[in-house]
Amino acid sequence: MDLQHTRNFSIIAHVDHGKTTLSDRLLESTQTVATREMKAQLLDSMDLERERGITIKSHPVSMAYQSEAGPMYKLNLIDTPGHVDFSYEVSRSLAACEGALLLIDAAQGVEAQTVANAHLATSQNLTIIPVINKIDLPSADLDKCLRQLEDILAIPGEDAILASAKNGIGITEILEAVSARIPPPRWADYDGTRCLIFDSIYDSYQGVICYVRVFSGTIKPGDTTVLMSDGLKVEIKEVGVFTPARLKTKELTAGNVGYIVTNIKSVADIKLGDTLTHLQSPAKEMLPGYKEVRPMVFSGMYPLDTGDYEKLKAALGRLRLNDAALVYQQESSMALGFGFRCGFLGLLHMEVIQERIRREHGVDIILTYPSVIYRVETTRGETLMVDNPVNMPSANDIEDILEPTIIASIHIPTDGVGDVLALVMEKRGICEHTETLDDSRLMLTCRLPLNEILVDFFDRLKSITHGYGSMDYEVGEYQSADLVKMDILVNADPVDAFASIVHRQKAENKGRQLCERLAEIIPPQMFKIPIQAAIGGKIIARETVRALRKDVTAKCYGGDITRKRKLLEKQKEGKKRMKQVGNVSIPQEAFIQVLKTN
Amino acid sequence: MKTPGTTSSLSVLPPPLDGEPLGLYVHVPFCGTTCDFCAFHQQTPKKGEVRQYLELLARETLLAPLERPVDTIFIGGGTPGLLAPAQIRELGKILGEAYGLPREEWTVEMTPASATPARLAAWKDIGVTRISMGAQSFQPHYLEKLGRMQPREKIFEAFSTARRAGFENINLDLMFALPGQSWEEWEADLREVVALGPEHVSTYCLTFEEDTTLWWKLSRGEIRRDEEREIEFYRETPQWLASEGYFRYEVSNYAREGFACVHNVNTWKMGEWVGLGPSASSQQGGWRGTNRSGLDAWGEDLEGGRRASADRFPVTSLTRALDRLVFGLRMAEGVEEKVLTEILRLAENPVWGSFWEKLQEEGLVGTRRGEGRRYHLSEEGFLLADRIGAEILAAGE
Ligand SMILES: Nc1nc2c(ncn2[C@@H]2O[C@H](COP(=O)(O)OP(=O)(O)O)[C@@H](O)[C@H]2O)c(=O)[nH]1
Ligand SMILES: [Mg+2]
Repeated sequence: MDLQHTRNFSIIAHVDHGKTTLSDRLLESTQTVATREMKAQLLDSMDLERERGITIKSHPVSMAYQSEAGPMYKLNLIDTPGHVDFSYEVSRSLAACEGALLLIDAAQGVEAQTVANAHLATSQNLTIIPVINKIDLPSADLDKCLRQLEDILAIPGEDAILASAKNGIGITEILEAVSARIPPPRWADYDGTRCLIFDSIYDSYQGVICYVRVFSGTIKPGDTTVLMSDGLKVEIKEVGVFTPARLKTKELTAGNVGYIVTNIKSVADIKLGDTLTHLQSPAKEMLPGYKEVRPMVFSGMYPLDTGDYEKLKAALGRLRLNDAALVYQQESSMALGFGFRCGFLGLLHMEVIQERIRREHGVDIILTYPSVIYRVETTRGETLMVDNPVNMPSANDIEDILEPTIIASIHIPTDGVGDVLALVMEKRGICEHTETLDDSRLMLTCRLPLNEILVDFFDRLKSITHGYGSMDYEVGEYQSADLVKMDILVNADPVDAFASIVHRQKAENKGRQLCERLAEIIPPQMFKIPIQAAIGGKIIARETVRALRKDVTAKCYGGDITRKRKLLEKQKEGKKRMKQVGNVSIPQEAFIQVLKTN
Repeated sequence: MKTPGTTSSLSVLPPPLDGEPLGLYVHVPFCGTTCDFCAFHQQTPKKGEVRQYLELLARETLLAPLERPVDTIFIGGGTPGLLAPAQIRELGKILGEAYGLPREEWTVEMTPASATPARLAAWKDIGVTRISMGAQSFQPHYLEKLGRMQPREKIFEAFSTARRAGFENINLDLMFALPGQSWEEWEADLREVVALGPEHVSTYCLTFEEDTTLWWKLSRGEIRRDEEREIEFYRETPQWLASEGYFRYEVSNYAREGFACVHNVNTWKMGEWVGLGPSASSQQGGWRGTNRSGLDAWGEDLEGGRRASADRFPVTSLTRALDRLVFGLRMAEGVEEKVLTEILRLAENPVWGSFWEKLQEEGLVGTRRGEGRRYHLSEEGFLLADRIGAEILAAGE
């Protein structure tokens, strides 16, 4: 198929607006997949993706479309991940396209991710085709949607296609618009071969498989290529297209989307957004937009059963094969034993990894408090990046601590604004901008410390707005804040797993809560055990573990000392299985409960 | 004879125990019924089994010769009381031929139901000096709850039968903190026991040991434990009994002046004792071990010339000192200073010293001066005796 009749596009939408359903309809309508083979939501192939209605990996597919005007078109649909944590991935998938269908739920209207995704698409210079989906719903409000398109996104309402992915309404119009409105592949006559890597997966038989968009030139098995970011040599073993199953072809040519099988052993070596070119006649410049992804959120991950350490290690290794954004290194905690410090793109990424380790790899794990990366300027003039409270230098050595912020766009019903602003305030955020979306919805633009949204911000936003609030964010700058490391001391010994970095003004409250919780959870002890929260050397909260009142067996016969001693030995062994903190035995359960409930 | 566990360096063994009190414990594994609280090894005797038991016991005495006279004998079970008078006499003959009469005390345990005049006469004849009977409760509905099939009248009857048989040292066991029991009900039991006037009273807080019927009931939620009540009973009982002339000399044991159970006290002080019969434990000659349970397994060992082959290990000076402390602390007289000095010298764990101090600081252990300083548990400490024991072992080893 010639370039003039090739189109590369993706579908972008807020979660649940119907992206997957529409993709399935397009596949059916172009008979790419016979209707009988359709599984509902074909493209979300991981269980977890299906369950949570999110797409984590991109799923490209090529479709042949017979246009009404006559010519056949090759339409390459590149499904994108659908969550803010993966916005760089989204931007790379979009970079592989010339156009995007912007899907809006007719009943919901424009939401936070709609805006974020539309901005991403515009910044890639994509042609946007607005589609109002779910027009079959009685609650569909077309006027509102069209008005929001114009007011918020500056997209002319008359461009919009009205559709129902569920009932197959508007599907042909969409296919027609894709072929007619989206331009043919760009930058095809650039001098030298350039392929954009927009995703990669690990296949246990074939090794690393890269998903590529060929911008210029040709790529085929036997080629020796290089990655332009770091000059890594890549041998091409096989190339092919997605139907959506992988289908081997002789070559991949400019303007097309497909896969390449390489000699590379780990996806970690292949950087998303990198440009692949021929070793012999390399292109001069990379494709635009490449950047290194860095994890934003860190947490210690420990096997519940210390014997599962090797299993956890293997599980992380397997996940990492397919997920270059996951980073980890071994660490050990006095309280939790051996485990790993893991870095994630964001909270969802963290949750997904955690779930997959539990479900797909059968390892029970506990995660410590998530932490962001703090930039610490020391009195000696150094700058340290600290992702674990345990590594925070002592207060005397700190000149300043800076924390990462985010710029959040929060879409909410107008009547919830007071509560949401209070929440933003509580989380040390400021609202920089308010915009009316329509007569019942507002968009707030807020700057918040990333640290503050890690735990419950999103859940609380949802509950305050009765489920109608939505949020998207982009990474903001580092800013200075009055942060302190808070230690939790059990019987005067600091317990590493409970250390955290908190804002000074919130320290006392949080410290008290933690102490209370611990005092409740730690089983009664023989001695009076203080639980304290401390900043530097200063105690800011204190509780005492309940005293054990009775532990005596009545009988201790003469002929029975051995039996009695065995019982005591058993108690002693039981004690060994607990984590010893000074004289106190804390059952691992207690750690888990405290970490869970916070 | 070389036994497993004794091959390690002999230098760690304590000095010979000559001069330490020597006790003999004889386990009679038979019991008529299984009480709901009892986790001891026992079996209802089948035909010929008592015969077999006595033969094996005779054989075991041959494997356990003693070079010095025994101070005490304690025959426990099961219910030794279940033996017929002729069997009792035979048992007496076996023990007498092997060891002679004990110098200080000879106790037999029995249930009130088995305390017939003929049996008591037989026990008296062979030299028994002390009878220990499990009354448990005087309240019919609690007796029933404990799975104890004896009418309360049986207790009175058995007690007077024992007196008539000439026993001047009698113990009665009682149980408290029974499911639903109030302090008043417990006090009523105490009053009844005091009215009978035994020389010795043991009061056991009801425990729920694994695999007992009560334990099952507890885990199924059919009965509930009330720890606060247990604590109350534990605290109040010593005062109550003291005002009646029974003094607490151990966590669960009370006696009139001069009637503490010598055998048990010697054991708690970690003297030597030789255990005969299935599942009996021995501490002798620098090792500790337990006979295998069940007539067959026990017999098989004896056949092969082995005794106390289960859980056999050498008792090092440190183990012995720690056990002296752990079990000695359960007694009112407490533990001599020199036991502590010994532990401090031998324990490798650097926290030992501070741990011991902490116990005193927190008021769980107190000191008393008599001939030299002695350590004993406080009232709170008594209630935590097990935990303290476990911690002592953990810190000391
Ligand atoms: N009524 C109606 N429901 C739809 C339509 N399109 C999708 N849905 C439903 O909306 C929900 C979310 O759809 P999905 O395709 O998973 O959304 P995604 O999160 O954007 O991929 C599912 O329950 C779909 O069945 C439509 O046109 N009409
Ligand atoms: Mg989807």
